[in-house]
Amino acid sequence: MNKSKIFGVFDQEEKLVSSIRSIKAKGISISDVVSPYPVHEVFEELNLKTRIPVAAFLYGIFGLLTTFGFLYWTSVVNYPLVFGGKPQNTLSFVIIIFVMVINVTVAFTLITFFLIEKKGPGAKPSVEYPGISDNRYLIVIDITPETDVKALNKLLMDTGAVEITEQ
Amino acid sequence: MEKKFVFTPKLRYITYALMVVGIIAIAIAFSMDPTRGWVNLLLNNFYFLSIAIGASFFLALQYITQSGWSSAFKRIPESLSMYIPIAAVFMVLLIFGMNSLYSWIQPERYHFDEHELHLLEHKSPYLNVTFFIVRLVLYFAVWIFMTQMLRRFSLKEDMEGGVAWFAKSEIYSKVYIFTLALTFSLASFDWLMTLEPTWYSTIYSLKNFISAFYHGSAVIVLVVLIMHTRGYFQFITDAHWQDFSKYVFILSIIWAYFWFSQYLLIWYANIPEETTYYVKRLSGSWEVNFYVNLVLNWLVPFLVLLPNYFARKKFILAGVIIFVMIGHYTDLFEQVIPGTLGEYRIGLVEIGTFMGFAGLFLYIFMRTLSRASLIPENHPLLEESLHHTGH
Repeated sequence: MNKSKIFGVFDQEEKLVSSIRSIKAKGISISDVVSPYPVHEVFEELNLKTRIPVAAFLYGIFGLLTTFGFLYWTSVVNYPLVFGGKPQNTLSFVIIIFVMVINVTVAFTLITFFLIEKKGPGAKPSVEYPGISDNRYLIVIDITPETDVKALNKLLMDTGAVEITEQ
Repeated sequence: MEKKFVFTPKLRYITYALMVVGIIAIAIAFSMDPTRGWVNLLLNNFYFLSIAIGASFFLALQYITQSGWSSAFKRIPESLSMYIPIAAVFMVLLIFGMNSLYSWIQPERYHFDEHELHLLEHKSPYLNVTFFIVRLVLYFAVWIFMTQMLRRFSLKEDMEGGVAWFAKSEIYSKVYIFTLALTFSLASFDWLMTLEPTWYSTIYSLKNFISAFYHGSAVIVLVVLIMHTRGYFQFITDAHWQDFSKYVFILSIIWAYFWFSQYLLIWYANIPEETTYYVKRLSGSWEVNFYVNLVLNWLVPFLVLLPNYFARKKFILAGVIIFVMIGHYTDLFEQVIPGTLGEYRIGLVEIGTFMGFAGLFLYIFMRTLSRASLIPENHPLLEESLHHTGH
């Protein structure tokens, strides 16, 4: 079987981060890090950038404008119903706008994320290992012909990996 | 590491100049229209009192949560809260102007209809001059005692070290936030809400409490920013700025939440006694002030501090806080003026009085700050603050 990836498995966040630092110091490139929750140091160490927040913000603006437009049209333009002498175009729209902005933002951001990452229902996961959504952290390193697998294994072991496998 | 803040003669003269401007402005106000003078005194005194209260609440909160990141800055909220005794002097002075401020004292002088007079009579066991003064004294007694004790413990900690004073401060802080929640709520009812005695809103006190916490924290951040550019607090990291802007950002949302809660409940219940408050504030030139208030206190900090990139930029953070502080004035202006003077008018008197109070506030603050070492050296959590990394 053609093994192309090395998984360094960790059980502690601190060890994962220090291991990433020492691997980087050796000049070996890390192809992926998998953790059950976001670890800020990993973003900083791997210099990961994402434009998802910008997309989310734009979806939020879109949700705000469309919901306000809808409420304004229904309660002011199309069917203006006066009840209790209250003004029709009021800040009471905020509740519905607030909820709809969250709804639209979350839904659209999720879809965008799935499209970019090619994930979603039915997609094959890029990394499979028991416990990665539970209490295990993975460092994934691609094996190239130049890779010194033994030295890499030793490095991972020295920095506190609980297990090293190849896939 | 620098030991002390130096209150230079130049700074001293600036505060004196501001105070002189304030005295002239108040004198002009009283000679033109005494009511305008009293209203400006009340408004500006409450403005700076709520900053002092907010700062003391911030300090108490840091003790209770045993926060390490902020411990190096704790002299700043401590010194800010030393304005409270001065505010007490002004509030006692305001007792002499109560007749021109509060219409519930002599309701027959105002245009109340029969129903409203009945309401005022119903409220009279609480709303009468004697009880008002008793409560006023009680509030200030609690605040001054608690803030002075926290200050004293902090100074003793500097001399003696150990964790005993920290533990004691924590207990006092716990007592303080409970008493503060009650007394400051009632104080905002007493001093601001009864300006329109037939109107009521129970969430009003919460909004003013959060507003005090919000603007008190914002002032703390602004002071740290300015002192950092002047060469103090050089150990500050990006993580500190991140935490400071988080404070401003989150509190702006909470402020907007309470601001809107009050509006929504009154809109929904649609009770005539309550809606008059918003009808007045949404008509004429007050409508501009109503929305400017929301933009300055919520929209500006929310949109600008949303991206991480901006949150760590010092000058952007400082700019946002200046907007927020103007917002605090518009907020109080909207609460105080329609029920007293009625017309929308910001003249040299208002600006001058504000400058005078700002000068006094800064004088008290800088004098207190210069009297003790800037960094609390024996604070048990100081090292955490000096090497703060964020997580």
